Amino acid sequence: MRDLAKTRNIGISAHIDSGKTTLTERILFYTQRIHAVHEVRGKDGVGATMDSMELERERGITIASAATYCDWKGHSVNIIDTPGHVDFTIEVERALRVLDGAVLVLCSVGGVQSQSITVNRQMTRYRVPRIAFINKCDRTGANPDRVIQQLRDKLNLNAVAIQVPIGLEADLAGVVDLVSMKALYFEGDNGEIIREAEIPDNLKDEVEEKREALLDAASMFSDELMEAVLEGSPTEEMIRTAIRKGTLSLELTPVMMGSAYKNRGVQALLDGVTYYLPNPTEVDNFALDLDNNEAEVRVSNDPRDPTVALAFKLEDGRYGQLTYLRTYQGILKKGDFIVNARTGKKTKIGRLVRMHADQMEEIEESDAGDIVALFGVDCASGDTFTDGTVNYSMSSMHVPNPVISLAIKPIDNKAQVNMSKALNRFTKEDPTFKTFVDSETNETIISGMGELHLEVYIERMKREYGAIVEVGAPQVAYREAITQRAEFNYTHKKQTGGSGQFGRVGGYMEPLEEGEYEFVDQIVGGVIPREFISSCDKGFQKAKEKGVLIGAPITGVRCVINDGAAHSVDSSDVAFQLAAIGAFREGYLKAKPVILEPIMKVAVEGPTEFQGSIMGSLNQRRGMIIGTTEEDDYTVVEAEVPLSEMFGYSTDLRSLTQGKAEFTMEFAAYRPVPKSVSEQLIAEAKKEKEKK
Amino acid sequence: MLKQELIQKNPIRHLNSGDEGKITARMGLVVARAGLGKTAMLVQIALDSLLQGKQVIHVSVGQGLEKTRIWYDDIFKDIVENCNLSNPYEIYDEIMRNRMIMTFKESTLTRARLEERLNDLVFQNIIRPGCVVVDGYDFKGGDRRVLADLKEMAQSMGLQLWFSAVSHRDDERTSPSGVPAPCHELEDLFDTVVLLQPAAGSECIDLNIIKNSSGGGVADTPLLQLDPITFMIKEGC
Repeated sequence: MRDLAKTRNIGISAHIDSGKTTLTERILFYTQRIHAVHEVRGKDGVGATMDSMELERERGITIASAATYCDWKGHSVNIIDTPGHVDFTIEVERALRVLDGAVLVLCSVGGVQSQSITVNRQMTRYRVPRIAFINKCDRTGANPDRVIQQLRDKLNLNAVAIQVPIGLEADLAGVVDLVSMKALYFEGDNGEIIREAEIPDNLKDEVEEKREALLDAASMFSDELMEAVLEGSPTEEMIRTAIRKGTLSLELTPVMMGSAYKNRGVQALLDGVTYYLPNPTEVDNFALDLDNNEAEVRVSNDPRDPTVALAFKLEDGRYGQLTYLRTYQGILKKGDFIVNARTGKKTKIGRLVRMHADQMEEIEESDAGDIVALFGVDCASGDTFTDGTVNYSMSSMHVPNPVISLAIKPIDNKAQVNMSKALNRFTKEDPTFKTFVDSETNETIISGMGELHLEVYIERMKREYGAIVEVGAPQVAYREAITQRAEFNYTHKKQTGGSGQFGRVGGYMEPLEEGEYEFVDQIVGGVIPREFISSCDKGFQKAKEKGVLIGAPITGVRCVINDGAAHSVDSSDVAFQLAAIGAFREGYLKAKPVILEPIMKVAVEGPTEFQGSIMGSLNQRRGMIIGTTEEDDYTVVEAEVPLSEMFGYSTDLRSLTQGKAEFTMEFAAYRPVPKSVSEQLIAEAKKEKEKK
Repeated sequence: MLKQELIQKNPIRHLNSGDEGKITARMGLVVARAGLGKTAMLVQIALDSLLQGKQVIHVSVGQGLEKTRIWYDDIFKDIVENCNLSNPYEIYDEIMRNRMIMTFKESTLTRARLEERLNDLVFQNIIRPGCVVVDGYDFKGGDRRVLADLKEMAQSMGLQLWFSAVSHRDDERTSPSGVPAPCHELEDLFDTVVLLQPAAGSECIDLNIIKNSSGGGVADTPLLQLDPITFMIKEGC
């Protein structure tokens, strides 16, 4: 059985292009999981090991978070490499859900960028203790002190340096460890030889000053250290214990630095992971007891307790479905049975493997706190497995609703079959990716979190499943909503031939500030019999699926019934559903409906000289500029822009700024469209309807 | 309460003239020791201008965009609660469309840069500010010429330009009319100067109006105070 105190489940998260994948690659090299290093966009054509999907290698970005395992100085470290692009945020969120600690990678030049803010917010939501690693200190313009200040100002972290770089930019030679007060140089072809030396004379003053700041910050978490500092005799052990305590309580963020690409500081970071990030027993994780009204239960991490494991990621491998699991208590053993808490289905554990990017290592059993993968288990992402003696479900993950959709059409019959297989797989793997067949047009619609998100799935369909599809223009997921209260009083009556139908529904509808729909029953005196109340609810829900303006779903509406009438023979469930649908339609037009569109929070970062053009480009796209942040020669423009206006923005931005600016966007809110756009949408919808 | 009523009844009216949407070039200063509510005061001046239909640029020196945004959200929330404002969401949406926040590092704000940014915005028809508030400007390091330049710029663009300045307890220098250091020698450049000071015998903060060329003179202005909890301006008792 493994020593849990020596296990670390960590994630590596950051803004796109901060060097996460290169960093992970170097970690695997130094822990001897791989025997050569390849660059993400390397000339050797091999690509980084963690970017296991062909597409990722080609684009130099990480899409799926590959899980991998390595050993460092007697510690077992499970690493989840997470994507940096915000379209794939669900991957980051899932990874954070099962991790105990994380390394937040920042670029020494770019500093805290928009995506770092999103990732940091996610880490805070899941209470993940973190170490910051300032990467790319070899680049021109590297300024770790500025990045630390940004961690404090922009992320509100109590960031404190525990290292000082020896040289910067092209002169980066190593780091000084402020705890051991030793200089570390990384030598050899791949920086694998670590040479400890005395602190260079030219850095002594800076090191003293920064060590003092570190001791001040760390001693807030240890009285013992505080006393020792006052007496002038703090030991390494005392300082590390205090930093660890501060990190675990999320009140301190130790900052390390180096350059993964130039092989500087990576081994020291691994030491940092073992020193300062928690082991599985130090993190409180909770499950919901399904037999006890979903009461929260703390999972124990004890291998002797009943097994509870969470399937956090699915992948379609060469040998069938691969399910990544994190065990929270109990063990998973080859040949044992596990039960899916959602479906109640019992499955035998066939092959149990530990993942190393796309290679694997067969194991007999896994302990509590471990991350492993199983073959041949039919489940969806987010399912909980137990040994059947408890009925727990790990708390649900926050899953955002898709904001964009595309119609896809297979080019032939073969593509049709493969497309179905691919879509079935992708929807199981990724809860933010959804698909359905439009009943009116008979087209297959896919929807997701952004243009790139859907593009990647279309590419994967082609490459992995050989399904070539024709793609329609992206469609924005519009909604309709009412803006004022309106009364309704509708009678549904059909008494011609056969059994009749009768139902009258009276009441009002009004805008709902939060939430999509609410039904309120204020019927007194049984004017609508009890058994038909739920029929009214069903009718309203059916009616709100399609608004009358453009046929988009209606959101944010409260329907209140307070009057009605029934007939002893002719009233039925169907009659009241139809009456409610009629009532809804009657009230809806009086309630001044509007069309809502998804608004994205967009952050464009680029050289200051392009600030004017960037703002102009956002303004042209109906963007509302929130503000700008200027630092030296770099500017970030933040704006809220309708998603429908953002198609093709990356190409425009590239040509406007000579490729020097980049942007990220995430869903912010649904807001009413301007009148002119509303009129246009209504006209288009009318034309479409007439065509059909 | 309706928007128009709120504009008329706002105690800040004594400092920020309600000129029915017309823009009068003017330069104002709010000076106080740290933590007494300078930012809150500037945000209220900006919100008042926004409610009057003017466009506003909030220049924040050394502070993040998000922090500044939160100031606006909090103060607007207080206004809505205090005044029982009807259709607050619509008003909020409208005023946020007319506000822009620009954050600069301390060392980077110069007249040339600010003017370039403002011209960019006006030229591209993104925003045409009637009021610019500058929070965190370094009066200690800045020289008189830069401020005179900025005043000239405000006049040429027809802007109201408001600054905040930090005074220090241990620097006792003041101008003859009582403007504390580091602005004691710059008083003549400003049309309005407000000094925030803890009120004697209460927890409120007094708005000591040293100079006021908006509407009436200093003598005509009633006692104004900042609420110590919400930092909202109110007429004192």
